[in-house]
Amino acid sequence: MLALKNISYKYEGTTRTIFKDVNLEFSPGKVYTIVGKSGAGKSTLLALLSGLDVATGGEIVYNGENLAKINRNHYRARQMGMVFQSLNLIPTATALDNIVLSMNISGVGGNKTRALELLKTMGISPEKSRRKILKLSGGEQQRIAIARAIAHNPPLIVADEPTGNLDKETEGKVLKIFENIAHEQGKCVIIVTHSRRVTTIADEIWHVEKGIFRRFDGNVNAPQTQKRRRK
Amino acid sequence: MYLLEHAMLNLGKNKGRNMLLLGITFAIITAIVVALSIFNATNLVIEETRTSLQSAVRIVPQMQTLGETGGTGGGQMITGQAAQNQATFTAEQFSDFANSDFVLGWDLQDTPRGTDAVFYLVSPLLLSDFEAELREKGLPENYAVRTDEAAFASIVAPVESLQSLAITFLAVVVVLGGVIMALLSVIAIRERKYEIGVLRAMGLKKRKVAFVIWAENVIITGFCFVLGMAAGNFLSQPISDNILAGQILSNADGESTATTLAERLASESADALSTENFSENLQIDILINATTALQILAISLLLASLVGIISVSQITKSEPIKILMERT
Repeated sequence: MLALKNISYKYEGTTRTIFKDVNLEFSPGKVYTIVGKSGAGKSTLLALLSGLDVATGGEIVYNGENLAKINRNHYRARQMGMVFQSLNLIPTATALDNIVLSMNISGVGGNKTRALELLKTMGISPEKSRRKILKLSGGEQQRIAIARAIAHNPPLIVADEPTGNLDKETEGKVLKIFENIAHEQGKCVIIVTHSRRVTTIADEIWHVEKGIFRRFDGNVNAPQTQKRRRK
Repeated sequence: MYLLEHAMLNLGKNKGRNMLLLGITFAIITAIVVALSIFNATNLVIEETRTSLQSAVRIVPQMQTLGETGGTGGGQMITGQAAQNQATFTAEQFSDFANSDFVLGWDLQDTPRGTDAVFYLVSPLLLSDFEAELREKGLPENYAVRTDEAAFASIVAPVESLQSLAITFLAVVVVLGGVIMALLSVIAIRERKYEIGVLRAMGLKKRKVAFVIWAENVIITGFCFVLGMAAGNFLSQPISDNILAGQILSNADGESTATTLAERLASESADALSTENFSENLQIDILINATTALQILAISLLLASLVGIISVSQITKSEPIKILMERT
């Protein structure tokens, strides 16, 4: 579904290389978690996967097409849903408007009833759904950001620390939703996290350090170094 | 459709910022309404005056010929004595002149120097034919048949002054107003840079973001257009009357100091023939017709669009990832 082929990346105007020759594959129906220290490049990887940024080397292939060569607006709007670390909700709009707008942009049509239902499954009451984002708590905002990412039913969901602001009970509910989306609805879910609990729902766990991805095969104490392809 | 809904929602969000934009746009559109309606009304007056006065002709002495016959000034100069020495026509002669297929009607008028007449032609194009017919009826060579240039000038001069004031004011308002609107809009859009970054990160295309901003500007402009038309309609008549009165006064002052004796004598007959001083009673009715309203709407929308393009181009240059990273 989504594959990174010899991906390299360095920030514009610097010589610091974040990744070099990274090869990863993501399939539908699975939950992937990416763990690693702050500054290791996890969020950069998500920016590349979401088409917000372009790799300086290699290619990201989505359903057989090079992401750098397709309409990335269309890709972001319809093919994927993203939960940003800083949430990036529209602060002056209501929770409901945020969801409906996302549905409209993706082309599925802004259905308020469906948006309210979705928010309800995230524990946001209809009354709170009509409040402006700034008048909701951090945890509520995080759940709205997750609802926005899945509202248009995209085949790929990319989430950056989606449970960072949630209490344990809500975190459990949200993880159940992600698990359900992947395992029952057959979608691909990629989560960047520091939370060990989040990794419990993962089918594959990847650890990134100094631009090198290592896969954990169910045992976090036994990292397996990713094979690098040589050109 | 959802983009328009989003634009409408945005207008309700930041009331302070939008009220400021609304106030400025309203002031600019009102000024445009006043300036353009005065300009169009004066244009109409000038055209109507030209059409009506070109059909009104009179018999006037020819300056050069009279100067030579008077002999005191020589050349093209004419003296009061020379003018006074010229024979005027009798009412019977004027009646004979008016008995023509080219004449619709005529007025006999008393002047300090005797009797004079104004002939109203069927068409201004028949002037030379009418003059030829009068020559056959005995009109001396030192007289010519002319349109009422003096009356035309006396009406048109203050109107033209008003017109040039209106067009200058319009140009200043459009240019300065446009700059102010653009600055305000750029500041307003910069405040919304993050929101635009989020929308773009969600996959909204640049042109759709631009459409939202443009739609917001157009909605504000449309609202201000309605208010501005009402306010401009109310203000333009008194403003026009005031400026026109000033122009008539200043024209009269200018004429009294600048006119030479010869010029005064040359125009004397024309003034005398006029039973009323046109310019003193001049009133311009400012009516905003459909054409003027469309012109105002077009200028307003053009301003709104230009302002929208300038402000949007500032934001859409940046990639959404950069905007979001700046925020983070």
